[in-house]
Amino acid sequence: MSLLELQALLPQLLMVLGGTAILIVGAWVRSRRSWLLLGMFLALVAALLAGTLEPPVAEVAGMFSTSLYARFCTIAWSLVIAATLLLSCRYAELHRYGGGEYTSLLLFAGTGMSLMSAATSFLGLFLSLEAFTLVLYILIAFNRVDNLGAEAGLKYLVFGAVATGFIAFGIALIYSATGTLHISEALSGLPLDDGLRPLGLAGWALLLVAIGFKISLVPFHFWTPDVYQGAPAPIGGVMATAAKGAVLTAFLPLLSSLGGAAVEIKQVLWLLAIVTMLVGTFSALTQRNLKRMLAYSSVTHMGYLLIVLLIGGADGAQSMLFYLVVYSFATFGAFGVVTSWAEQNEEIQDYDDLCGLGYLHPRRSSALALFLLSLAGIPPLAGFFGKFGIFHAALQHGYLDLAVIGVLASLISLYYYLRPIIVLFMQEKKAHRLRSGSGEEFVLLGACCAAILFLGVYPGPLLDLLRQILF
Amino acid sequence: MTSETAMNFPLLSLLLWLPLGGVLLCLIFRKSVESCRLLALATNLLVLAIGLGIAFTADAGSGGWLIYEDYSWIEQFGIHYTLGMDGLSLLLVLLTAFLQVIAVLISWRIDYHPVFFFSLILMLGTAFIGVFLALDLILFYLFWELMLIPMFALIGIWGLERRVYAAVKFFLFTLSGSLLMLLAMIGLYLLHGEQTGVYTFALESLKQTELSLTQELIFYLCFMAAFAVKVPLFPFHAWLPDAHQQAPGAGSVDLAGLLLKTGVYGIIRFAFPLFPRAAEMSLPVLAILALFGLFYAAAVAYQQPDIKRLVAYSSVSHLGFVVLGLAAWNQTAWEGSMLLMINHGVTSAAMFVMLALVRQRTGSNEISKLGGLWQSQPNLSAFFLLFSFASLGLPGLANFAGEILILVGTFASKPLWASIAVVGVLMAAIYMLRLVQSVIWGPCCEPFEKQDLVTREWLVLIPLALLVIWLGCYPQPLLDPIREPVTLLLQQGGLP
Repeated sequence: MSLLELQALLPQLLMVLGGTAILIVGAWVRSRRSWLLLGMFLALVAALLAGTLEPPVAEVAGMFSTSLYARFCTIAWSLVIAATLLLSCRYAELHRYGGGEYTSLLLFAGTGMSLMSAATSFLGLFLSLEAFTLVLYILIAFNRVDNLGAEAGLKYLVFGAVATGFIAFGIALIYSATGTLHISEALSGLPLDDGLRPLGLAGWALLLVAIGFKISLVPFHFWTPDVYQGAPAPIGGVMATAAKGAVLTAFLPLLSSLGGAAVEIKQVLWLLAIVTMLVGTFSALTQRNLKRMLAYSSVTHMGYLLIVLLIGGADGAQSMLFYLVVYSFATFGAFGVVTSWAEQNEEIQDYDDLCGLGYLHPRRSSALALFLLSLAGIPPLAGFFGKFGIFHAALQHGYLDLAVIGVLASLISLYYYLRPIIVLFMQEKKAHRLRSGSGEEFVLLGACCAAILFLGVYPGPLLDLLRQILF
Repeated sequence: MTSETAMNFPLLSLLLWLPLGGVLLCLIFRKSVESCRLLALATNLLVLAIGLGIAFTADAGSGGWLIYEDYSWIEQFGIHYTLGMDGLSLLLVLLTAFLQVIAVLISWRIDYHPVFFFSLILMLGTAFIGVFLALDLILFYLFWELMLIPMFALIGIWGLERRVYAAVKFFLFTLSGSLLMLLAMIGLYLLHGEQTGVYTFALESLKQTELSLTQELIFYLCFMAAFAVKVPLFPFHAWLPDAHQQAPGAGSVDLAGLLLKTGVYGIIRFAFPLFPRAAEMSLPVLAILALFGLFYAAAVAYQQPDIKRLVAYSSVSHLGFVVLGLAAWNQTAWEGSMLLMINHGVTSAAMFVMLALVRQRTGSNEISKLGGLWQSQPNLSAFFLLFSFASLGLPGLANFAGEILILVGTFASKPLWASIAVVGVLMAAIYMLRLVQSVIWGPCCEPFEKQDLVTREWLVLIPLALLVIWLGCYPQPLLDPIREPVTLLLQQGGLP
């Protein structure tokens, strides 16, 4: 690895080295807040570096690309990590988290995610995926005294380990069918009529199962509600947005340039999209817990994203990234509100505890309502143009069936998105007053609201940007 | 002032965003209820003033748009920010502004989160005006959906016992129609793009799209799904009685007076011109549904134990009349439909104002608990009588002019339909008289509050009463601006 290649990896290096330093020094200096803020600063600088520094080489070590696309993803995930650190300031104080460990783990996660989106080789893909999943195992169970958290961590560990097995075996099969670990070569190298073809397809199938686990597609989604419910709310936010986004962005280039396996894989994806949208929607209907509802909602949204992943090409990729950004703002914001409402021993997340809370905490409740309505795709919020882009792409490429099911699902989804709003604003007051929000939390929630409103009325600039970075 | 100055100054945008500006100001002054109330009133009065200004200055005879604005908005998808106002939109915008003022005035003493309440009312204003002005399909859709959230909140927060049920029902019914419309919009846009290479959502361009009859029918049905729910055309009306029954007074005024009109407006501005052949094929079906709805709703209205539900069903019945006029497809009938739309906006709003006042005094909506209001509240009851007569179509009062034009126009092309519809007018008399009889006459149920009308209520009722009489005696000023747009819209339909 040459110096130039290291220079190209500067943002990731900054995060991982900074994280290590914080971990070591943090063992002596127990100043929670300053570590969190320092970590946030590092992540922001990493995002800035990724945005401004022109990388000197196109590919690092044959494993990671430094394309505009990869840099965009780096910026996105670093920002999510920075936001999470800022959001966690009071939460970590409340739960007496070790500031150094928490900060460094999140920075490691950010590095893993950004490398994952940049992977050009199966080896890089595997390594970076494991890097951030391992970190997440710890972060989910970070609250040692919380039984739900421990259960969630264990659940994620078991499912994650199975997925790791699948992905490793899938890669091995693809390697044996094509003789290369480089993704684009492996894609073009899959023979169309050859004895090795079944082997390659089997590899792809295993890979798809692993993706299914990671982004919780039906029928691999069973861990999602339990883990989201048990994980600390800020970590839930990361898992629902950046962790899923990293996997999706890593597979987007793969699936849009599918060579010999396109037909078979698209059939599978088609089926997965339908099942995911429908099962996710109907499961969410019966939830009476905000975080569990958000978990099923994220399952449904992954179904929508599958539609565009399946379409691929410029249209599909653009709609997918736009949707991902919009979805991330709303979902992260929703988890942010839950974080902000957290008490010392528990997080307020059951609907029964939320009754009438809207008038006790009007700002955060309205923000939550805004996020949920955006997720439901109600104009003039950003979620509308996200859905618009997806249905547009689906109709353009002749997937009328998927578009109709998507519309149906979003109609039904309205019911479960409205439910928390009803509970907050339209029911008898039963809730008791919670902590008033801290400044950082309001800044973050305000930023998410502003982004959702802005992208809802003026999505043009982001769409242009996405088109630029894609091609 | 000529149309030239109006071209330079974005008057329509001002009109459109003024209420939303009011919302922002309300949020800034949220500590003071008094200032928010005044702010809401002032904003709506200002909108009304600007609308009247346009009405008196703009040149109505030019044939095209009175005022037109067009900016590029989202280039990637060819979405424009296009607003246009013709005589029809002008009248509907004026109606919006007027009813919004009424809505603010009758909720003057609201005490449950008043700032939030007035913000939502103002937000509704922007949504309504946007629907009546937008000429780009996506822009239209945006405002179309923007109506839902404030209305949902108004019903769900300030409504009666079963408010949440009614609010969710309203939201789901209306959204299910609109999502189909969204799909059809995108489909139409893609087809147009494939044919011409120009991807745009502009209404004028999309009218030129060449469609096979099957495609046209499918798209038309999707559009009509959205509009028929809002109108509401039988059998899509189930949400309306619940919404009305539960909604607060101002919510009912906006629902009956404005929200229903957006459905009719959508049909004539979008569904018919975009898909003329499908529209022509659907006319008999529309007429049958309209006639059936007219009778069915009247019969159900007669049975209602709740006065708000009764008036809600009367709205369904009246809107059936409006749609019947559209289905007759000639100049006279259409003018009648438009006129009835405006008239019904005023009279139904007036009726709901009366019901709100009655409820304030008696604490009940149930017919069995009401009666003999005249003895304690003669002034209130006099207005009640006047508006009820207007609503049942008494000659010389508002609704009559529209109904008679519809009947005349329909008789010219479809005598049978018109003959059946005449009986419907009679039905209206039956249920309205039952309402009047059981609320203001009959044995006196002791009202909770003795006070007759206060100044603020006089201020609401006198303009409404004047308008009802004026529209009934001399509707010509309304027919003039309608004539030109109706002729144009009929021509675009391309039917004989």
